Formats: sequence, C-alpha cells, structure tokens
Amino acid sequence: MISNLTPTHIHLLLNHFPTIGFSIGIGLLIGALISKSDDLKKAALTVLVAVALLTFPTYISGNAAEEAIQNTPGVSKSLIDTHEGAALLSFIFMEITGAVSWLALWQFHRRGQITSRTLWTVAVLVVITMGLVTQAANIGGEIRHPEIRLATESTTVEGPIGRDLATWVKAVPWVWPACESLHFVGLSLLMGVVLLIDLRMLGFMKQVSVHALDRLIPWGVLGFGLNMVTGMVFFIAAPEQYTQNIAFFWKVGLMILAVFNGLYFTVYDKAWALAPGDDAPPLSKAMAASALLLWVGVMYYGSMLPFIGNAF
Amino acid sequence: MPFVLTIFLVVLGVTALVGVLGYLIDRSVRRHDRP
Repeated sequence: MISNLTPTHIHLLLNHFPTIGFSIGIGLLIGALISKSDDLKKAALTVLVAVALLTFPTYISGNAAEEAIQNTPGVSKSLIDTHEGAALLSFIFMEITGAVSWLALWQFHRRGQITSRTLWTVAVLVVITMGLVTQAANIGGEIRHPEIRLATESTTVEGPIGRDLATWVKAVPWVWPACESLHFVGLSLLMGVVLLIDLRMLGFMKQVSVHALDRLIPWGVLGFGLNMVTGMVFFIAAPEQYTQNIAFFWKVGLMILAVFNGLYFTVYDKAWALAPGDDAPPLSKAMAASALLLWVGVMYYGSMLPFIGNAF
Repeated sequence: MPFVLTIFLVVLGVTALVGVLGYLIDRSVRRHDRP
C-alpha cells in the first residue's frame, strides 16, 4: 500500500492541516493572551511554527495533484489556477506568521519573556492568514466538489498569481540565475551558523560560550528564509521539474526534519546556559550531530536534483 | 543593461537587504539582552 503513495495522497492528507492546525493555534493564542500564561504562549507559537512548516509540503504536493487531475472531465483548469494563486498568497502569509512566531519563541528563550509587541504582531498576522487560508481551502474544495460550487466559478482579487509569477520568471532571463546566486548566499548564511553552533555543541571551540553563538541564530534563519523564497521561485516557475523528482522529495523531507530539529534546539534545549569550557549534555550533542547530518542531506539532494531526479 | 550586470546588482541589492535586516534584528537583541 505504501508503494502506491503519491504526492497527490500527500496533498489530500496535508491540505487540512493549515486550516485545522491554525485554528488550534489561534485558540491557544487567545487563551494565552487572556490568561497571560507563558506555557500557553509557547504552545500556541510552537503550533503556529509547526503548521507554517507543514504548509510547505502541502503547497508543493498541490502541483502534483494538479498534474494528476487537470485533464479529468468536470475539472476546471482555471479554478485550479485560482486555487493555486489563493494558496500562494496564504502560503506567503503563513510563512511570515511562522517566522515571527519563531522569533517570539526565540525571544522567550533568550530574554525569559515575549514582548507584547511581538505577540500582538503574531495575533494580527494570524487573523489575516486565517482568512486567506480559508479562502484557498474553500476554492480547493470546489475543484472536486460540485455540491459546494457557486453558480459562477469562484474568483479572487489576486487571481492566478502563481501562474503569473511562473510566466514572469520564464520570460525575464535574469530572474532564474539571480535566484540561483541568492540561493547560495542563503545556503552560506544558514550553513555557517549551523556549523558554528553544532560543532560547539559537539565539543569544538569549547572556549566560546554557547550564549554568544546563540545571537547568530537570526542570521541563519534569514539565510533559510532567503532560500525558501528563491526555492519557491524555482518551484513555481517549473513545478514539473520537481513534482516527480525523488531527489526533491528527499530534500524536502530532510529539510522539514532539520527545521523541527532547529525548533527544538532554538527554543527548548537547555544547553544555551553553557559557559565557556562547559561540555554539552548528551541529548544536545545528539541533536547537533543529527542537525549536521540532516542539513548535509538537504544540500546533497539539492545538488543531485538533475542527477538522481529528472530536473533540467 | 547588460545581463551579467543586472544579475550582479540584483544579488548585491537583495544581499544588502538581508544584511540590513540581520543587523536590525541583532541590534534589537543586543539592546534587550539580559545582563
């Protein structure tokens, strides 16, 4: 049965996560704002980061689902493109919400509190994102459920922006190579910070305090964000290069594990109090070693996209 | 504008933007750090 698993199955499984997961996150956030409980705040923000991360495979598996059904009788290609545009807009807001939520969690671990400005920024973003996700989910449902379709086909203000972006990237010759260069800039930022912190945890450079290295983490996250944006430009412009590419599946899978590892490390791990000369606890070392393996795996499968898979 | 110059300027501009953003976050971290 597992051998029959396709990206379409993954889309059908994951497409409920953004709406349901975000609803749970909002409920926890409201509870946290009313009760002022730090534990509830952390739980709400962790749920929001996790949902933002899971929205990534939800989005990309959607293109595989499109390829599978776009020629089916009764399925509207223009409705699929409208759904893709709505999904892209909600994906962008979802990732911004996830990034600010992570920043709030990181603030908490570093300062012992989350500023109310950060928390209210998350709250505003959550409301906007929830509206966009609901719209995308509803149009997605209309593709295969005629019973919920309106008399006229649904449209959105933003329209099929995913296809518009793809046309632009393909028409303007400098966009792809510029994004390739920026992808390497992001990779260098991210891997530079990952190597410094994980090698310190494993026992290298023990004279450096972990707290000092912790300040570099936002730089690594910025590198990851840059790669997320440029990577999505590649994917949206040429999804057919990736949706059937086994190396891409491995890259995305390892990346999700690596980010969850990073979430644990930057929010919950106790090793940040280590003074210069201190040895990290065994669990922190195991997490550091696995982070290095996961990120090297992401880079390996990223560079193998044309060789193991079918890209380019 | 020549193709290579366009790419160079775009990459330089976006990298500078990321640098400024990183600097602003780092400055905020430095100001609010616990002693």
